[in-house]
Amino acid sequence: MTENNANPPPVKTVVVDRDVNAAPRQRAVELREEWTRRGILVVNLLSSPGAGKTSLLEATAKHWCGRYAMQVLVGDLATDRDARRLAPWAPVVQLTTGGACHLEAPLVERGWRELPSENCQFLFIENVGNLVCPASHDLGEHLRVLLLSTTEGDDKPAKYPKAFRTSQLLVISKTDLLPHVPFSVEAACADARAIQPELECVAVCARSGSGVADWCAALERRRAALLAAGTGEVD
Amino acid sequence: MHETSMVRRLIAMVATEADRAGGGSVSVVRVEVGAMSGVEPMLVQLAYEQQIPGSRLAGSRLEIELVPLRARCDQCGVFEVPQFRFGCPRCGSPRTVIVSGEEFHLVSFDQLLECGEPRE
Repeated sequence: MTENNANPPPVKTVVVDRDVNAAPRQRAVELREEWTRRGILVVNLLSSPGAGKTSLLEATAKHWCGRYAMQVLVGDLATDRDARRLAPWAPVVQLTTGGACHLEAPLVERGWRELPSENCQFLFIENVGNLVCPASHDLGEHLRVLLLSTTEGDDKPAKYPKAFRTSQLLVISKTDLLPHVPFSVEAACADARAIQPELECVAVCARSGSGVADWCAALERRRAALLAAGTGEVD
Repeated sequence: MHETSMVRRLIAMVATEADRAGGGSVSVVRVEVGAMSGVEPMLVQLAYEQQIPGSRLAGSRLEIELVPLRARCDQCGVFEVPQFRFGCPRCGSPRTVIVSGEEFHLVSFDQLLECGEPRE
């Protein structure tokens, strides 16, 4: 055996110590700053498929009835079905991820640049229906809202801890079905608050409109707080 | 399954840093994956093995260090979070702050020094 073979090949260790997702995270921070400056409260809506994100946005537009200007970005793997539903209510751009399970800040930014640049007080980002992956991606939102429908069961918060931990507002949807399903609003909120004690909880039924005023009031309060924080230039 | 796209990002990051650091082939890549990072270590390993053939990192090995989820209570200090219940296990306070366990970090990598390459 030669001396060369006896020695391990010379190696140098390069220390990097960097977040793998540093680039999209940085983009999200910059987007949030831009939205804050423009006085737009940006809401990232997370839920399982079919929990009622699109219905909640339709109910929101009906409730506000033009008092507040809203715009919507909707994420789905395929089709523009949600965008077509929302088009009568607000400017909307469909983001199709082509199979990806979540939205990321650069895709959101591209969609946002396609929306009218004026007249927006609330921007809703309807994420891909999924309680797992979207929880890991900051889109630059000010408020992360998690929708949990009564048909999904009140035991879900502890099963999807990251989605609940990173949200600030929990909307229990489809409350008209409460008499027919074993779901306790109190139990769901308590389970969620064990993970995220600051979580605000609102119960709504988008079909009847019950609770929609509370939901809208929560959004209006959050936007007022954003403007009061001083950096917003109100339009 | 967003591990695929995150691992693609990891590989690109290492390739850029390896080129910058001097060009030899990469033998080991070390990452930290937190218990609440949102990425599954097994799927990260799988995605890595699927993506490196033919890439700048061909033949390299990925070492994953798991980072437990820890939070801090202002009164009682740092504790390991059991079952994603974030309340302080000593005083019961619900107001605690996560201090580790959310990361997906590229820590370091080993690069072979090729024959004749200066050690700097």
